[in-house]
Amino acid sequence: MSDLAYLTVAEAAELLRAKKLSPVEYAKALIDRVEKHDKKLNAFIRFTPDRAMDDAKRAEAEIMRGEWRGPFHGVPYGLKDIVDYASLPTTAHSKILKDNVAATDAVVTQKLRAAGGVFMGKLSTHEFATGGPCFDLPWPPARNPWNREHFTGGSSSGSGAATAAGFVPAAIGTDTGGSIRNPATLCGVVGMKGTYGLVSRRGVIPLAFSLDHVGPLTRTVRDNALMLDLIAGYDPLDPGSVNTAAGGYTAGLGAGVQGLKVGVIRHFYTRDMEGEPEMVAGIEAAVKVLTGLGAKVQEVQTAPLGEYAACNRTLLSSEAYAIHEKWLQERPQDYASLTRERFLSGAFVRAADYINATRVRLKMTSAFHALFSDVDVMVTASAMDPACRIDDAKELDRTYARQARSPFNVTGSPALSVPVGFSKGGLPLGMQIVGRPFSEALIYRVAHAYEQATQWVGKHPPLEA
Amino acid sequence: MANEVTLEDVRTMAADVGLTRLTDQHLQELLRATQTAQARRAAMPKSDLTPADESAHVFRLNGSDR
Repeated sequence: MSDLAYLTVAEAAELLRAKKLSPVEYAKALIDRVEKHDKKLNAFIRFTPDRAMDDAKRAEAEIMRGEWRGPFHGVPYGLKDIVDYASLPTTAHSKILKDNVAATDAVVTQKLRAAGGVFMGKLSTHEFATGGPCFDLPWPPARNPWNREHFTGGSSSGSGAATAAGFVPAAIGTDTGGSIRNPATLCGVVGMKGTYGLVSRRGVIPLAFSLDHVGPLTRTVRDNALMLDLIAGYDPLDPGSVNTAAGGYTAGLGAGVQGLKVGVIRHFYTRDMEGEPEMVAGIEAAVKVLTGLGAKVQEVQTAPLGEYAACNRTLLSSEAYAIHEKWLQERPQDYASLTRERFLSGAFVRAADYINATRVRLKMTSAFHALFSDVDVMVTASAMDPACRIDDAKELDRTYARQARSPFNVTGSPALSVPVGFSKGGLPLGMQIVGRPFSEALIYRVAHAYEQATQWVGKHPPLEA
Repeated sequence: MANEVTLEDVRTMAADVGLTRLTDQHLQELLRATQTAQARRAAMPKSDLTPADESAHVFRLNGSDR
């Protein structure tokens, strides 16, 4: 069973297409794995084994008839529970929406269905993609498969946990201030926040309209590129969607990094914040690997992290408060305490503060994008620390803001979190690779070269322990 | 808003914006959250903004909206 659990999407696709692996057998193996282990991890908020088997049987019948739909045909996946799947509740992990049944699929769900994917269920999230980990909600928070006493990172907590644990080879998450890349880093998987507007947000409960991104979490870079190939694309009904060419993200894999110019934003994790030494060591070792592979590495300077964070949080808190004001007025007691406090931070943001944040945003974005005249991609930290204990409120609070992800929500730049090793305590370490808008293919090319030169992909968490 | 916002300040401000069902615990949360927001405002690099620096959200119609 463990062999099937850790198949990549690419491996599974080859076997499924060649009829060497039955989608039903594959789904059954993962269903058994979830049933055996998820009570310890809470990756799923709503596990749907019956639907998974229905999808798997349909996929099998189609593949046997020669009607192969593509790399996700017969491949299990999960959806963060703010993403609509028609006829199932989209709860946002909140009492407020526990009976909120989706009438239609989100656009990403439509695409996964059309691709013949096998839907395994809805994945745990921080409440409304912001409040977590919380123990005062109807459902428990997800736990880190590498050490169940530790945090997954959020808010796509279940997506990170399920992927790392071998419950699914691919999951959908969302990212407004780092919420794909944080669980990707802390759970040791690959997570892409693409360019703002690349993937449709339609059918996804919003946190902040101008900062929300939908994206994939997977165990390998190739799988991540395959999933982005599937879900990216213009949606005229999403006001933030960009009408530009999308797809082709696997085309450059294997081209290597010889001669590519890589800028390291070192001050984010050495001056603006001091990264935990093992995390810093992991990132610096990764930079050395890229140098050894032929990349030309140089240091780059951008605005301090605190300025990006101030801009991100002013925009986020204002937009989120506007979305939640009515519920906060009518039923504030139905939020978890942490979620409520985070949303309330937008209650008194002045209009001038919000407008100034958008003006600062435009300047920062322009200045950041100008740096790409000297480099092809950039590398920096994602989290400053490995995952802390999930029951250590003080440490969760201390490490919450210790991140370098939110700058790329402000600028809308594509940013990928990839594993760079493990702490002495066995917890994953990660870094970000960042590009100019719509340069996801180049980011994947660099990440793939790094991944192939290292051994992190083959390591899996000890679920039996 | 005063630099040092107090619990009574947030209680009044909350009532003004319809947040009338907040318990004392919620108001404490709101006080902390408001102080956090004030710190963010102070950290915003807006001192060199000029009138020509536009917002990132410019209302723009599509060319097809004829």
